[in-house]
Amino acid sequence: MLLAETLRSSTLKLALLAIGLFGSIMFALIGYVYWSTASFVRSRSDRTIAAEQMILKDAYERSGREGLIATISQRIADGRLESGVYLLVDASLVPVSGNLQFWPKVLGDARGWANVAQKLKPDATDQSLLRVAFATLPDGSHLLVGRTIYDLDTFVGAIRTALAGTIGFLLVLAGVAAFLITRRTVGRIEAINTTSRAIMQSGLGQRMPLRGTRDEWDRLAQNLNLMLSRIEELMTEVKQVSDNVAHDLRTPLTRMHARLEKAHDRPRDSARDQALISDTMGDLSTVLGMFSSLLRIAQIEGNSRSDAFCTVNLAEIAGDVVELFDAAAEELGGRIKIQSQQRVLVTGDRDLLFDAIANVVDNAIKFGGEAGRVTVDVVERDGIPLVAIADQGPGIPLEQHTHVLKRFYRLEHSRHASGNGLGLSLVAAVAKLHDARIEMLDNAPGLVFRLWFPRCAAEQSRS
Amino acid sequence: MTGARRRILVVEDDPVTAEQLADLFANHGYQVDLAADGNVGLSRGRSAEYAVMTIDRMLPGIDGITVIRQLRKDGIITPALILSALGEVDDRVRGLRAGGDDYLVKPFASVELLARIEALARRSTVVLKETVLQAGDLELDLVSRTAKRSGREIALRPREFEVLWYLVRNQGRVVSRAMLLQHVWDLHFDPTTNIIDVYVGRVRRKVDGQHTYPLIHTVRGVGFCLRAPS
Repeated sequence: MLLAETLRSSTLKLALLAIGLFGSIMFALIGYVYWSTASFVRSRSDRTIAAEQMILKDAYERSGREGLIATISQRIADGRLESGVYLLVDASLVPVSGNLQFWPKVLGDARGWANVAQKLKPDATDQSLLRVAFATLPDGSHLLVGRTIYDLDTFVGAIRTALAGTIGFLLVLAGVAAFLITRRTVGRIEAINTTSRAIMQSGLGQRMPLRGTRDEWDRLAQNLNLMLSRIEELMTEVKQVSDNVAHDLRTPLTRMHARLEKAHDRPRDSARDQALISDTMGDLSTVLGMFSSLLRIAQIEGNSRSDAFCTVNLAEIAGDVVELFDAAAEELGGRIKIQSQQRVLVTGDRDLLFDAIANVVDNAIKFGGEAGRVTVDVVERDGIPLVAIADQGPGIPLEQHTHVLKRFYRLEHSRHASGNGLGLSLVAAVAKLHDARIEMLDNAPGLVFRLWFPRCAAEQSRS
Repeated sequence: MTGARRRILVVEDDPVTAEQLADLFANHGYQVDLAADGNVGLSRGRSAEYAVMTIDRMLPGIDGITVIRQLRKDGIITPALILSALGEVDDRVRGLRAGGDDYLVKPFASVELLARIEALARRSTVVLKETVLQAGDLELDLVSRTAKRSGREIALRPREFEVLWYLVRNQGRVVSRAMLLQHVWDLHFDPTTNIIDVYVGRVRRKVDGQHTYPLIHTVRGVGFCLRAPS
């Protein structure tokens, strides 16, 4: 299974392609090195032979045939040319002097270079390969100088073997490495694939296996696991929300149903019917309001940063909110005041920001305790726009901080208050759309609800 | 609502909704024409003079916004109210308000719909040039931005003055909370809390406080109405 996967793997194909490519380049390079080494060795050997031939010709020109014969003998005796052969023959090719038995048959009587195979001694079993230079002397005799090229061939052959061996070894090594690496990769991917299939079949409980190597595969697996956790969280949240929706919607719907049923079964009475109809309409608008809020939150959550975003002044928006809620605070016997800088700019949507701040302020007034004071601060702290809404109510217990942002979540002491448990969900959705961070702190007593916004692009370019 | 009945064009593909809209408008003094899709809406809109039209956002054939664009291109300025089931955060629909048109998100209260239709229909005929507005013994000076009742000045904050101004301008007609939020605060969403009621309540205390005849009335479930005693 793993073998078949490995052989099918695109990684292996790529690796083999790379090996082929680099192999060819290496082959060409090593071939060139071999060729140039061989020709260098040969040309150096040829030069040595040519020099020897010159010396002999000089001897001939200086002291005639006798001198040449003497020189040949002398040089053979001295071993001046390594594994050298000499032969002087007369015009009818009868040997006169030298260490070669006879004039090679293949050579004509002209001059030039040749490779010949010949026994060096009559009793030798093998023929030796000779590289020779031959020439005809003015008196009609022929002179041959050369050397056995056995050594040379051995040397070049050794180079050839070494190079071929290296290429072969490297190719095999690369092939094995490619196969092993591919198998490892395929193995990790296969592990992830297996887990993915298991997750599709049996649910989000499983996680990708980690090897603890902290390599790229572990990081991939870790990220996938984080993603799975997030998905699982969202699924749970969706389930919770639908449970809550079912509960919160069922209550008014059941009331309406019961009321209408009762009315249906009894005789018409215009005054009673009028009251019943207006009660039912009231419940219905509660339901519709809840639906609109849910849709609005879903829509804000579904939106990416809108093109309609522009630079807005948070101080002004918060000022409007405070002005609007001033009357409400007064009615409840509380007070609301704002402390803000002149300009705190953010990039965003005025409607949404207003709605979000209004929701937090509304909560602060509603739950901020009797005769409570609500303070709204709008400042730029270290260049970061901040809106902080503080009240002196009972606050929110630390462990509930993340829950209160969920849809329909309501704290125990707020169960009886008006509202549908969607306000802070809307705030969270708006904050997320604006890349703003929500922070909740203890105001001792009360709650400080903070919205930290990202620096405004326009503001940045200004400073 | 004197003189000839005003004509309204209703472009709506759902027959039940169309019927309800037609009934509603007919009962409030309009002469109603129906169109069941965008193409019919377009040709009706071109062929007759309407005081106002309502059009569904999503229609078979051409969609509502395209119909309005096309009519504007042909030089027809009949104000339009888009009825959208898509919600408020729809930038394309929101853009309509800049063009003098309006939108309402389904589902809506019929009173809210009527209030907006009235506001749109009137905009096409009345041009306001007065600098002083009156409603009974209430007098608004739009230049100095001051309000007087029976000659006594009422201390109003700037926003409170604007609320009162909008109510007086629409006296005798219902003004919804969303319309107030839109025209006074330039905010385009439906307030889920009763915060506007509380705010208008304070304006009412200042305006009606020591007087026998209240001018500002709450219309339950919808909004407010400023009525001068006849």
